[in-house]
Parts: sequence; structure tokens; C-alpha cells
Amino acid sequence: MSDLAALVAQQSLNGVYLGCLYVMVALGLTLIYGVLNQINFAHADFVTVGAFTAFFTATRFATKLLGLPDAAAYLVSIVAAFGMGALLGLAVNAAVFAPLRERGDELRPLIATIGVSVLLENAQLALFGPIPYQFDSPFARETIRVGRLFFSMQSVVVVGVSAAVIAALYAFLRFTFLGKALRAVAQDRETAGLMGINPGLLIGLTIVIASALAGMAGALLGPVLVLSPFAGATVIVKAFAIVIIGGFGNLQGTIIAGILVGIIEAFTVQYLGSGLIDLVVFVLLLAMLVARPTGLIAERKEENV
Amino acid sequence: MKRLGLTFLALVFSSLAQSQEIRIGVAMPISGPGSYFGVMDKEGIELALEQLKGAVNGHKLQVQYEDSACSPLQATNVVKRLLDQFKPHIVIGEECSDASLAIAPILNEAKVVQLNVGSVTMKLTESGYKYTFRIFPNAEQQSAPLVKVAQGVLKARTAVILHEKTNAGNDNAEGFKKPFEAAGGKVLATIDFGRDVNDFTAIATRIASLGKVDVLPTFALEGQQVRLSQALAQAKVVKGGGGSGVQMGSIWLPYGFDQKAGQASEGYVRIVQFDPNEKRKMVQDFVKAFKAKYGADKTPTHINAHAYDAILLIAEAVRRGAKDSESIREQFSKFKDVEVTTGRITFDAKGQTSDLSVVHFVETQKDLSWKALNWQ
Repeated sequence: MSDLAALVAQQSLNGVYLGCLYVMVALGLTLIYGVLNQINFAHADFVTVGAFTAFFTATRFATKLLGLPDAAAYLVSIVAAFGMGALLGLAVNAAVFAPLRERGDELRPLIATIGVSVLLENAQLALFGPIPYQFDSPFARETIRVGRLFFSMQSVVVVGVSAAVIAALYAFLRFTFLGKALRAVAQDRETAGLMGINPGLLIGLTIVIASALAGMAGALLGPVLVLSPFAGATVIVKAFAIVIIGGFGNLQGTIIAGILVGIIEAFTVQYLGSGLIDLVVFVLLLAMLVARPTGLIAERKEENV
Repeated sequence: MKRLGLTFLALVFSSLAQSQEIRIGVAMPISGPGSYFGVMDKEGIELALEQLKGAVNGHKLQVQYEDSACSPLQATNVVKRLLDQFKPHIVIGEECSDASLAIAPILNEAKVVQLNVGSVTMKLTESGYKYTFRIFPNAEQQSAPLVKVAQGVLKARTAVILHEKTNAGNDNAEGFKKPFEAAGGKVLATIDFGRDVNDFTAIATRIASLGKVDVLPTFALEGQQVRLSQALAQAKVVKGGGGSGVQMGSIWLPYGFDQKAGQASEGYVRIVQFDPNEKRKMVQDFVKAFKAKYGADKTPTHINAHAYDAILLIAEAVRRGAKDSESIREQFSKFKDVEVTTGRITFDAKGQTSDLSVVHFVETQKDLSWKALNWQ
């Protein structure tokens, strides 16, 4: 393999790995928008809660209390973060979002997501303090080398979990009754209600799924992030950009855009400089808004989510 | 008449109490990614105040903490509020260069002393501010020894400079690049990155594609440096990953970094302004008192030490007769070889500490312990 080919292959691998992390964060955002037509500004904090849940599960509960080996403890922590995200979504929806939605006001739930974000951030600051935690995944310590290419076992876990989650989400939405009902609510909430579907329940389910995905994203990102109560904020702007580039509310578009942004970032670092990453990504975002405002995959309500 | 007399007495006592107070404003990041600075600063300050029993020469040391969040805007607001309500004689802060630069003109305009303990940007003491003092080595004072060690001790010919995109990062990078190239070294690339970058694999891949790199001076906050070191080791660029490059750094990293970065930090050569293992009595007394107050498993970092030193310096100024902002400034200007935990402080005409005894070099060993490097 020539030097250039090896370099291109290596940066492509790096980009796919990074892209998968972005996709995991962006999936929940796009899911909520697809069903509720609402942006969730607290999404970053759900990611952070997931990262902390995974950290404490992996380093305290699973290893010290259950006596699991490091690798198993980390895998358990991913499931725990998923569960914690779901619980948090359930609680926040019941306590804040659902009552506001019932009043029929669209602006208040949006503002409420900002309130929830500030609340979660400060609660985590009070609980965990501001000093960054060191979350090491045992898989990050293992480097796999194939010829001149290298990647960590952690990146295999991230790509594998992302692929499994995407497949499961797709299957849920396409082939299960709840998934079909959820898509019906996304297309037309009122008509879905007339067909006997409980929109409130399905909106709650959407928030729970999106929060669970955010929690899981936190577990995958934890060993990459500088883990502090503000950790999620470092990826959320990029996730918003991905959701817009992909087509707000469109799952396929979000997946393609996430991987694309990851690869573009890796090659920007190689050939333009890492200081220009944001410039390149947001120029792409603006170009997309001008040339194709509906995103990579044009928004079609019946195909979203 | 009696009431009038009592009011007069109350006014006299109140005024006396006011004049016998040294009001110290502290503007540090308590929220945001740099908040670990503020937490550690507070620990150092509280310990010093406790040891001084809160007073020097009959002057009570009154401290007010404010969260300036490493942000120029918030730091500006906080300092304006301090000036308006607390009326400090001196303000300790900020840690981040951008925020320190933002508050310097405000404090100088108000003729209130600014004591900086953690910013590297050259501009802070090069802008003619009469009331600004810094006990932290500036970018040039850090970079010149780094170049000296890179070329003299490590025999480096090539370098890749890595730094965060801030005033401090830029100044450190420039401070290394110029003298390194002037002495015949070649800088293969200068790579900057924002504070929101989490994954450094692509950067490490790029560095690996640049050919043999002898040293990698790195200027970023601890969290990013941990990830960066691990990515460089994974790409076999640095010694910790089986490569030949030596990562070099300065006072950005607190004690404990090596344990967080793990094996990837092996061979890391860096400046530490505070070495808790230093045998000097003042250092060992400080470490002992710190552990007694905050727990035996907690070793003070350079951030704790800087904040502790700041209070010691203010106390020393008061001991020498300072009682307000102007006299604190005068006493600081006269300081020569004042011993603190990080070394000895002598301020030059610009308010910058000029004694490089505060610069110590260490190399991380295989077992993650430190080996002191002789560099002067």
C-alpha cells in the first residue's frame, strides 16, 4: 500500500469512527424533531448523564460490587447508560414536557428544554464537581494493527454498537406496531389520534427512546470526552449541524450526514488543519441550507422517523 | 445628644474596621470546562487564610469569590461588580489568558492591583499595566527553557507544535517556534485545535504521516492533553506508544496528569512550577498542611500552590506595611526573592515574576513517577 493510500484509508477509518459517535448523539435529536417538530436543547445533558452513568457503573458498580472484568463492566455500563437515559426521559417528560404540551403551547416546551438543560448541568456540577473525570474504556487500550492501519478496539465497539442500534431502531419503526404508530403520529398527530392511537403516549415513548439513545451515546463518548458536567456541550453543536445537513427529522439523512461530517473532519485535519474543522463543517451547513434547505435527504413527513 | 454620640462612635468604629480590612476579590472559573482551576484555587486560598488565621498585622483578610468562568465577558462583569460592591484592594485572577486580559484594563483604570497566578499570555504584562502583577512564568519564560531542553538535553532537530486556539496557546506556540527555528530546528507543523475537540486520532494520524518527529510541544488543558497523549501513543508517534517522539509541555498540566494518561505519558518532559516532592521546607509544610485539611490521598497541584502563594504574597505586602491598593502595589514592586511554594518571587518593572527558579523540569518514567531534569 502506498503512503498516500495508507493515509487516506487511515483517515477514512478515523472519520467513520468519529462519524458513528456523532450519529449516536444526533439520532435522538432527529427522532424528537421528526415526531414532535421540537428541538431538544437538553439533549447534550442527557448525553452527559449517560456518560457519568457509564463511568460510575464501569468503575464502581460493575467492577467493585459485581466483580466483573473491565471489558464486561464497560459493556454493562453501556446498557446502564441506555437505561438511565430512558428513565430520565420518562421522568422529564412526565414532570415537564407532557404538562406543557397539554396546554397546547409549542413555545413553552421548547423553552422548557433550555430550563431542563440548565437544571441538569448544575445538578451534575453539584453532584460530580467540575474537575474532569478520567473514563478509560478497557477497549481503548487495545490497538489493532492491520498492515499500516491501526484502530482501537473501542472504535470497533463504537461502530458495532452504532450499527446494531441503527438496525434495531429501523426494525422497530418499520416492523412493530408501536413503531408504525409512532410514524403515524409523526405524519399527522390528529389523524393518528382518530385512528385510536394515543399520541401523548407515543410522544412520551419518542422522548424515552431519544433520551435512551443519548444516554448510550454518552457511554460510547465517555472514553473520548473530557468527562465533566459540560461534556455533552462539546458535541451538541456538531450534532445539530448533522441533523440539519441530513434533513431535520430524517433518520437516514442523519446517519449519512454524521458519517460524512466525521470523514470530512478527518481529512480537514490532514490537509487543511484541525483549527479549520468548525469552519469547514459550518460552511457545509450553510451551503446545504442555501442549495438544499431540506437536507441531504429531502424531508418527506411520511418517510421521516 | 446621647443618640448623636452613639451614632458618631458607630461611624468611627465602622470606618476603622473598614480601613483595617484588606479586601481580596477572587475572579476564578467555578463553572465551565476550566472550573477545576477555580476549585483548586479556592482550596489553596482557604488553606492560606486558615494558617494566617484570617488576619495579618491586625488587618483582616476579607475574601470574596466570584465565578468568572474563563470567559472574558463574564470576567468583565464579575470584576465590575466586585469594584462596585466589594471595593477590593486587590483582585486575584483570572486563570485563563483571554479573561485575564479582559479584566486588566478595568482594574488598572480603577487603580486596583491585579495578581495573576495562571495566565501565560505575553500581553498581560507587556501592555504597560501599572497595577498588574503575575507570579506565573509568561509564555516566553516557559518556551525559552522548553527550547533549551529540547535542543540541549533531548538533541531535538524536528518538532510538531500542538496547541489550543487561545491567546495562551498561540503565545506558547509562537514562543517555542521562534527560538527553536532560530537555533536551527525545523518545525514540521503547528497544529491548533478548539476546546471542543475530543477525538485526536485524526491529528495523531497526520503527525505520524509527517516523518520523524523529535519533540511535540503541547499546550492545552489537562482533559484534552490526556486524550492527545493517548492518541499519539496509539499512532506510535511518542515513546509511550513505542515511537521515538517526546511530548513536551508546560505548566498547563496539574499533578496527577500522568496517572490519567497512563502509559501514553511515558517519556513526557514538562515544566512543573510546583513539585510536591521538592525537599524545600516550605513545600513540605504546605503539602503536609494541605493533606491534613483535604485528605491524606490528595496531593496539592500547582494550581493549589499558586493560589496559596497569592495569599502569602498579599500577607507579606501587608506585613511590610501595605494597607490599601496603592501600598500593596508599592510593596509588590519592591519584592525581591520572596519565598513561596513555587519558588522565589521578584517582580520586574512590568510586574512579571523574573526569577526562573519557579521553572522545574520533570520527565515521566515508565512507572509514571517523575524524574527531575537538570536544565539550567
